[in-house]
Amino acid sequence: MSARIGALPGAFRAAPVSRYDQAAAMWLLAPMLVVLLAVAVFPVLYSFWVSLFDLKLTRPHRVPFVWFENYAIVFQDPLFWSSVWRTTWFTLMSVTAILVIALLIAILLNEEFPGRRFLSAMLLVPWAIPYVANGLMWKWIYDSGYGALNGLLLQLDFIDKYMFWLGDPDKTLALIANAFVWKEVPLAAILLLVGLKSIPADLYSAARVDGANLWRRFVHITLPGLRPAFMLVMIYETMMAIRHFDLFFILTEGGPAEASHVLAWQVYVETFRKLSFGTGSALAYIMALVTFLLAFWLIRMLGRKL
Amino acid sequence: MRNLGRNLLLFAASALFLAYVLAPVAWLVSSSVQQESEITSRPPQWIPRQPTLENFEAIFAAEAKQVTYETRRQGDPATGGFIPSTARDLVPAMWNSLIVAVAVVVLNLVVGVPAAYAMAKIRFIGRSGSIYFMLSTRVIPDIALVVPFFLFIHKLGLLDHLGSLIITYLAITVPFTVFILVSYFESLPDELDKAARVDGCSRLQTLLRVYVPLATPSLVAVVLFTFLTSWNEFLLALMFTQTQASQTMPIVVAAFTSDFTISFSFINAAGVIAVIPPVVLAVVFERYIVSGLTAGAVKG
Repeated sequence: MSARIGALPGAFRAAPVSRYDQAAAMWLLAPMLVVLLAVAVFPVLYSFWVSLFDLKLTRPHRVPFVWFENYAIVFQDPLFWSSVWRTTWFTLMSVTAILVIALLIAILLNEEFPGRRFLSAMLLVPWAIPYVANGLMWKWIYDSGYGALNGLLLQLDFIDKYMFWLGDPDKTLALIANAFVWKEVPLAAILLLVGLKSIPADLYSAARVDGANLWRRFVHITLPGLRPAFMLVMIYETMMAIRHFDLFFILTEGGPAEASHVLAWQVYVETFRKLSFGTGSALAYIMALVTFLLAFWLIRMLGRKL
Repeated sequence: MRNLGRNLLLFAASALFLAYVLAPVAWLVSSSVQQESEITSRPPQWIPRQPTLENFEAIFAAEAKQVTYETRRQGDPATGGFIPSTARDLVPAMWNSLIVAVAVVVLNLVVGVPAAYAMAKIRFIGRSGSIYFMLSTRVIPDIALVVPFFLFIHKLGLLDHLGSLIITYLAITVPFTVFILVSYFESLPDELDKAARVDGCSRLQTLLRVYVPLATPSLVAVVLFTFLTSWNEFLLALMFTQTQASQTMPIVVAAFTSDFTISFSFINAAGVIAVIPPVVLAVVFERYIVSGLTAGAVKG
């Protein structure tokens, strides 16, 4: 949040650009520029170009140029719109849960008490776990035959028989969101904690002198002070949720039926199962544009002081 | 009284926190050392009564103890015989993951450190432009890169080759690396730069002799992030790898999860092995990671 990228001191700014510095900067920057142009910018532009062709790997020798037909095909596909809806729903559930849980954790870790350092170290455990292992772990927890969720709920008498959790279309998305939230919460909590620490302590003591109770201090000082951190976490996690793929692959493969068929999964199916690279690219491009707009907002926040 | 209440509340909250963060992992570890009769019991055996390391042996001693269709059928006391013949692919896959991750880390440093120094400390025409450029490449979603990468890699004949992963992982790591390093270099005083230049150091010497030694914390953070990102990456590896020659750890582990004939305890053991290196790194270097995440604000 204190990312004041590009903020130079005034005196420095006033100095004239020396020819040596200009040349040195170019040489120092060149490797990065070459790499980013080659592996990021060019592929994204090329992807747009591909999306204008009817490119199917099942028919590699005839690749007609079709203008925006792939986009029309995508927009006319009812499965696209239902995936948009499911992606939105998944994102809303995940981001809300991440914000709430991360805020609670940040408040806890903002207190001084013995063992706090141990807790913050443990917070990094979910963050570090690879998504594939995270998916494997939750798939086993949700398992209909021998999983921990069934076992626990049965022992606590919440259910009277083992359930087929991931097979229930009404619950699938929420269960995947739960696995996603568990892994994303640490980063969100760390960022919110930085936000909490940046609120000046005098504000709290002044409010206490004025007779504000704990709840009112929370509502009138903590929440407004956390606004920038909240926004940052919200936008970032929204981007992550929209594009998320790994858990859908491991846990459900888009199923049951189409209950967890989200946009990222749709891109995968179009490109690598139907081998239709044209429509796959168009879809990926639509997703990229949506996240780019969100990201633009984020960049403006991060680079505000440029 | 007030203090007692606070302590009780903190204690309860800490316990709840630890349960949320660690219970799923504890269950994963517990399941990985259970015998077949325990892992298929209802309700679950939370704590294994006779823990066994058979699954781990099947992975690490796979060469000595070939698992074939026949030996699998004969059964293995711990797992009931449901150890896949692909168990021995996991160790080579981890080597692949390691090679890719180390190469990506090295390339990130070579490319990122000079660029970050230039953007943070040198005044030149095009400076803010290059910062915006770097920031905007940070937010390209990996899923948008899949199709073009696949076509390039196909054309270059790099499918099923570790090189394809190293190249593509640069796209998802370099922008973040540069971002963290720029934030850190900016926090170091400009006077150092001037002093070194007055002493006759070139820009490159200034960077290598003055700033790099001072930037160690952020360099550690960058090394860890790039390493973990490469080690954990799944989507691109799924597209570009086909055989043992290039399959990384996540790909082999993911294949276990979709095979219903494999023992659950074996799948969990594979999960434990996948989890140990990144978790150990993260917990040991906690301080660097938290400060890196904070400086970088977001991981992208």
